Amino acid sequence: MPFQRLKRDTAKELCLEWVMQVKNYRLNLDKNRCVGCQICSLACPKEAIRIEKQPKALGEKARKARVDVDLSKCNFCGICDISCPYGAISVTVDGKHLLSVLDKESFPQLIRDVKVDATKFPVDPSKSENVCPINLIRVQYSTPEGKLVEDPRSLSSSELNALRMKVEVDKEHCPCCGICEAKLPQGAMHVRRIFSGKLAIRRENCPEGCTDCLDVCPITGALYLSDSDKKVHENEMFCVYCGACKIVCPVDKALDFKRTHIHHTAVRSGAWNKALERLTSPTDMTKELKAKRSLKARESVKKRMGLKEEQNV
Amino acid sequence: MKSTAREKPKPRQKKAGPETESPRIGVFVCQCGSNIASIIDVDALAKYAQTLPNVVHAESMSYPCSRQGQDEIVAAIKNSKLDRVVVAGCSPRLYEPTFQSCVSRAELNPWLFEMANIREFTSYCNQTMPEEANQKAKDTVRMAVAKARLLEPLKPIELPMTKKVMVIGGGIAGINAALDLADMGFKVYMVEKTETIGGVMALLDKTFPTLDCSICIEGPKMVDVGRHPNIEIISYADVLKVEGYVGNFNVKIRKNPRYVIAANCTGCGECRDACPIEYPNYADLYLGARKAISIPFGQAVPLTHTINRDYCIECYKCVDACGAREAINFDQKPEEIDVNVGAIVVTVGYSMYDPKDLTWTGYGKFSNVFTAMEFERLILAAGPTGGKVIRASDAQKPHSVAFMQCVGSRDINRYEYCSGFCCMYTLKHSVMLKEKYRDAIDVYVLYNDMRSNFKGYEEFFNRAQKSGVKFIRVKLENRRITEDPQTKNLTVCAETEDGKPVSVHAEMVVLANAAIPAPTTAELAKILNIPLDKDGFFKECQPKIRPTDTEVPGIFLAGACQGLKDIPYSVAQGSAAAAQAASVLGKKSWPVEPLVARVNEDLCSGCRVCESACGYHAIKVEKKGEKSVAKVTEGLCRGCGICSSACPMDAVTMPNYSDCQIVAQIQAVMKKGSRKT
Repeated sequence: MPFQRLKRDTAKELCLEWVMQVKNYRLNLDKNRCVGCQICSLACPKEAIRIEKQPKALGEKARKARVDVDLSKCNFCGICDISCPYGAISVTVDGKHLLSVLDKESFPQLIRDVKVDATKFPVDPSKSENVCPINLIRVQYSTPEGKLVEDPRSLSSSELNALRMKVEVDKEHCPCCGICEAKLPQGAMHVRRIFSGKLAIRRENCPEGCTDCLDVCPITGALYLSDSDKKVHENEMFCVYCGACKIVCPVDKALDFKRTHIHHTAVRSGAWNKALERLTSPTDMTKELKAKRSLKARESVKKRMGLKEEQNV
Repeated sequence: MKSTAREKPKPRQKKAGPETESPRIGVFVCQCGSNIASIIDVDALAKYAQTLPNVVHAESMSYPCSRQGQDEIVAAIKNSKLDRVVVAGCSPRLYEPTFQSCVSRAELNPWLFEMANIREFTSYCNQTMPEEANQKAKDTVRMAVAKARLLEPLKPIELPMTKKVMVIGGGIAGINAALDLADMGFKVYMVEKTETIGGVMALLDKTFPTLDCSICIEGPKMVDVGRHPNIEIISYADVLKVEGYVGNFNVKIRKNPRYVIAANCTGCGECRDACPIEYPNYADLYLGARKAISIPFGQAVPLTHTINRDYCIECYKCVDACGAREAINFDQKPEEIDVNVGAIVVTVGYSMYDPKDLTWTGYGKFSNVFTAMEFERLILAAGPTGGKVIRASDAQKPHSVAFMQCVGSRDINRYEYCSGFCCMYTLKHSVMLKEKYRDAIDVYVLYNDMRSNFKGYEEFFNRAQKSGVKFIRVKLENRRITEDPQTKNLTVCAETEDGKPVSVHAEMVVLANAAIPAPTTAELAKILNIPLDKDGFFKECQPKIRPTDTEVPGIFLAGACQGLKDIPYSVAQGSAAAAQAASVLGKKSWPVEPLVARVNEDLCSGCRVCESACGYHAIKVEKKGEKSVAKVTEGLCRGCGICSSACPMDAVTMPNYSDCQIVAQIQAVMKKGSRKT
């Protein structure tokens, strides 16, 4: 059978495929999870991903930008998969989600620093559900015998206390906004942001009545409509710096947005440097490189001095 | 009236020419046994010639071309102090070179010789009317004498010979040509388009009819090419331009960047192991993948890795892996080089037709329909499946395989010709399957004609029949392959020669798709200025007796680019072309007849009409001082005279075919019965 390049675009997903007899490469974009934030297109080393702004009808809410992948340019490296904060893209080889770029340390893993302490979760299910804006936290109750309780909300608090509680967080798809940390009792969740940056709305430049950024923002609470001036305000505490708002903003100077740092595992890779430069800025990339250099220098000094490296840091 | 002589004329020449006050012409009339004498009264013709102006000697001879006849001519030149010689006899195409060397023995310039054809033009074609024939013979001799009076002595042109040769294409034919030429002591440049030499043979599993391992035979030869001190491989390169002529070709080549410094790459493959990216491998017919920095297959020569920047993500992990060897250079640019060679051997091979547009085959739609080349990679132990013949749909070994012959070839709507080697490789595949799996597999061959007509081939057909392969003879029309959507099994439907329907159920179908000219053939034909035949392969000079020559002296053909052929014949032709090239390269210089266009620079206006008229790119307008004038490249000029007749300023002349010489001939033929007074 000849080699085939396939592309399927449905309302739910975008699917690209290389079909070789002995190997199958596949890229799936989950359109429900995708927020149209541009991070994948900036990270893509082959510039295969295009973000298409969707036209907005008068009086309607703004729609998130559409992501399109060029089949002739895509090499199924999986960098888009790794860098998507919402985990909307998945690249598989022969059905397995094993990415060679991570294996060979050609690209770092984004660090999703999410710690869960189930013991500190509120017993009342109504207090813990709907905390996550994209529904990634699931609290399950089971009887001491291990039987799953279907409808914990109908139970009284004493009955709930007798049950075992299990908390599951879908970390793969978590953009690490930290809303759960703020809403749940202290210590229940600990979240450290993947991206750091800066977001400021210059409201004097905002068009009258425009809420486009708010319409597309997937993180409820990162942006909000102020009752006083009827304009959109930002709450940087919860912003994940994905930039979906910046894409749809109709005017140039209304949104000041930049990413300054990305929390990731250590690698030495040209592909990462390039992605970093595009995702943050050349100065921020230089900062990281300098930091890396000084770290390396420190290590070599340590080695030369014959000091033992502290392994468990 | 151009001879094809190659003999080098004697350099000693008597200074004689138009400046001579009254030329002394000798006329020798040939009897040619009875070929001429039976119709023409040769003695009367000699007597008549005696009466023509400036003729001081005329005689008839039985065979002037014989040793004795030639001696007589030499003696007559010396005794009668002749400075022009006319032989009235046969066609100059046959004997002009003989007589030219004969007159030069008498220290006369060979271009002061003229031939009057009274055999083909007169005695042969006017046998029923002797009177008119005799008159015509007289006219012909009179014309020749008129022209001879105005002949000018010419110097032969000697083109310098570059003792180097280029082989374009590194397949098995090119490898043999290169090794032969290099062993003879010539410097060989082997230009290869892909990353490695080896061609199609390097991708095959076994060769018919002996079932030898293909790469085991070719691999050592590839290594020999790589190691030979006289051979320089220029791989991953394209031929952009070829200028010049035999003995002095100037070839412009673009070396495409590998992003790996060949001199530093040891071929260790550590970069390959570090690379995270894969892409479909052309050498595996895209059935499997290779790394973005890799070699196409293990035996590649040169063993230099190549980065495919279309897929590379520039993580530079390969640079780290390469370390101190420092072989990787991402800043490499395409490099253009000029190579000067004396001869070129073209061996660019062939490619395979993609049968996707033959919808009845289901190729590309049904996952278990393969082409023969894909099957070759499946059954190859070093192939993407490790030698396991498995289906694409479920990765299971098929229990029945049907081979379908003549897909695209012998089809007037696709390729009319027979691809030649498909019958044999199908026999090879079927025998290999049958001998590997015995009764666990059913093998069917649906063929129309079985072409097994060379040494050991028919015996191989018998071996296939004995091993239990079922041969079904079918018509080429009304064939169809259908698929069961559940099991992905296939049904092949066809008609026997007497019109009865046959159908074969098979779990895998292999198509013997047509072999077609390599995609670069047409472009290269333009670059080399050599013609293509109707099927798109390079056209040889003469299919029977000059199968490796092209119409351009110094350019030779070998292998499947000249016409489809299998390995033994490609090898033989490669060596044949090498011998042809060596016969050119072995010469000290390449003699060219001085009958090439001459430009009178005072008359030339630089209008470029000649440039567009010339079919050989031999005349070009160049700046000379303040004015532009046409300049002739002697090595390219064939003396056809088209530029001369096209020139509006009469600035281009052909030596010894000048206007005044031709007018003199015309005047002579119009003035019937003119006598010496």
